[in-house]
Amino acid sequence: MTTQPTQTVTRRNFLKGSGVAALALWGLTATTPAAASSGAVDDDAFGMLIDITRCHGCNSCALACKKANDLPLSQDPPTCLDCKSYSYINECEAAAPDSAEQTRYVKRQCMHCLHPGCVSACTVGALRKTAEGPVVYDSDKCIGCRYCQYACPFGVPAYEWNNPLGLIHKCEMCFERLQAGEQPACVEACPTGAIQFGRRKDLLMQAHARINFDPDRYVHKVYGEYEAGGTSVLYLSDVPFADLGLPTLSDQSVPHYAEGMMTKTPVVALTVAAAATGLHFARKDKGHEAADHVDQEDAS
Amino acid sequence: MTSQTPTLRQTPFALPTFNRESVIVSLLAILTLVGGIAGVGRLFLGLGSTTALSDVYSWGIWIGFDFLLIALSGVGFTMAAVVHVLHLEQFKPALRPAILFGLLGYVAVLLLLVLDLGRPDRFYHFILFWNVHSPLFEISWCVLLYTTVLAIEVSPYLSERLGWRKPLAWFFRLITPVTIVGVTLSSLHQSTLGTLYLNMPHRLHALWYTPLLPLLFFVSSVLAGLSVAMLVYQVAVRIRRKPLETSVLTGLGKGVAGVALFYLLLKLADILIAGKVAALFAFDRPSWLMWAELLPGVLLPALLLGLPSLRRKPLMWWVAPLLVVVFAIGLNRFNATLFAQVNLPGDALYTPHLLEWLSTFGILSAAALAWYVGMRLLVIFDSRAEKEFGH
Repeated sequence: MTTQPTQTVTRRNFLKGSGVAALALWGLTATTPAAASSGAVDDDAFGMLIDITRCHGCNSCALACKKANDLPLSQDPPTCLDCKSYSYINECEAAAPDSAEQTRYVKRQCMHCLHPGCVSACTVGALRKTAEGPVVYDSDKCIGCRYCQYACPFGVPAYEWNNPLGLIHKCEMCFERLQAGEQPACVEACPTGAIQFGRRKDLLMQAHARINFDPDRYVHKVYGEYEAGGTSVLYLSDVPFADLGLPTLSDQSVPHYAEGMMTKTPVVALTVAAAATGLHFARKDKGHEAADHVDQEDAS
Repeated sequence: MTSQTPTLRQTPFALPTFNRESVIVSLLAILTLVGGIAGVGRLFLGLGSTTALSDVYSWGIWIGFDFLLIALSGVGFTMAAVVHVLHLEQFKPALRPAILFGLLGYVAVLLLLVLDLGRPDRFYHFILFWNVHSPLFEISWCVLLYTTVLAIEVSPYLSERLGWRKPLAWFFRLITPVTIVGVTLSSLHQSTLGTLYLNMPHRLHALWYTPLLPLLFFVSSVLAGLSVAMLVYQVAVRIRRKPLETSVLTGLGKGVAGVALFYLLLKLADILIAGKVAALFAFDRPSWLMWAELLPGVLLPALLLGLPSLRRKPLMWWVAPLLVVVFAIGLNRFNATLFAQVNLPGDALYTPHLLEWLSTFGILSAAALAWYVGMRLLVIFDSRAEKEFGH
């Protein structure tokens, strides 16, 4: 082997190379702000409280949503979330307290999680949790990878399948209306007061007050208070939430483990690079010796 | 080092008349052509009319094969680390077929990703818009950078063929830092592919969902890498009609057996510690899928290549790594992406569209064909430059 003449050059170049790598890593960690999904949740952020017992399923909210978001209107009210419907009424047959089967109307839309999986997952940061509460979407950044659909426990982000340059569509809690001092379109349209808009902490207080005031009427739980780390949209119900098609979720936020790993990226990179460098120099001479006597045991 | 006499005369690239080799090559060419047309068609028509994907099954076989192919292409960093970091020089004959497989594997990965993107015209956006918490963001960057590393690693095979001495000298000076950067980038994105699934606690079946996912994905990429190294080395010596060095295969086989046992221990430890034994013995669909990964995919190849008497049998050099590729890696990546996805609306179904199959196999065939051409045209065995410039 003629390694000796080149050895010092190799080492110098290696140091250069690892210096560049370390700089790049430093840049990676130093120049980018933490994703909004991990940031502190603003106590004054907005939310919505949906009282299932007050909803009669008139679909005014779904219609108002379509108008507010310029979505195409159809003959029948929407029956699922898709790229043309950001909100719909899910009709559920639930066992009512008096054990008779009764229809419940569950208004569904984006839950605007406090620590949204979609925001954490988005490759290009097109999704963002605003300080005001809504999870908003920047269609100019989106590359259509659809990872957000997998990171959402509520099946909210919808893709525009019939467009060759399709994008993601979701409820933004009428963020533009909020900025103009208005309420979300669905809240304004609701004739029974089943959807209330306000600061999340006030809504939570109100929800618990309603349960305490009429404990026989409500399930003693506010859905969304803790689910998936908490959501900006909250539900009150007189029947178990599982009967309403709302997923049973742990209190842990969706990105909990993934973000824990991702923040370790620079450490992992430097550890691997250092270990590989160390191994390279430690084994440099041994390796050349070993090459001369190939494993005799298996050579036969 | 190898005992063969170095020869200047390389096999010229010319299709033989009619034999097994030419039939396979023609078949690959046809699949490439058909798949290419299908792929271009998809870019113009959009995902709705060309795939069976939906808002529930939003990722299909493109992503499944993509993640499988990234693991298999782990052969590049695995073998580079074996030869240039651990300095196990006896495995040098298997290095170049492995590195070229890695490069073409990653190119195929990029092509499949572009097909799957809803906005292929914006594929470069991850360079402009950053989200450091996104596993896919990190994977995109690592794949881009590591593909560049692989291209650098392949460059001397061509430089030597063309007799370009300056780039050759430069390459052999830079080989150590290049290798270490490649190993680092690979460790990052191979494990981050596991992290990707950590954002799906509500969707991925408990038998697969574990905080250990990053480690499992990394270890299985090394397992995949060593297995693919065995396979491509054997194909390469056949194409170039070189004598097979059995010690290379038995040595790699030992590695496969060792890593497979370690991977098996990790999987079993996770199932035991996280209290998922009942789910493993539920003998429902997810349970069977996990058994299919563990027994034929991990335990069996570990035995076939772990027991010295079996390890010396040439048949095992094909059977064991193929079992790893199909069951331990292939089934695992498809389970994570498709079969072990749970809590979905009951009526949701995904049966891949014909165009998805054609474009997938088209891209895979193109990569295989390019690898074959590379094996024929590039300096793969007995590099004189390597001896001259050291390393």
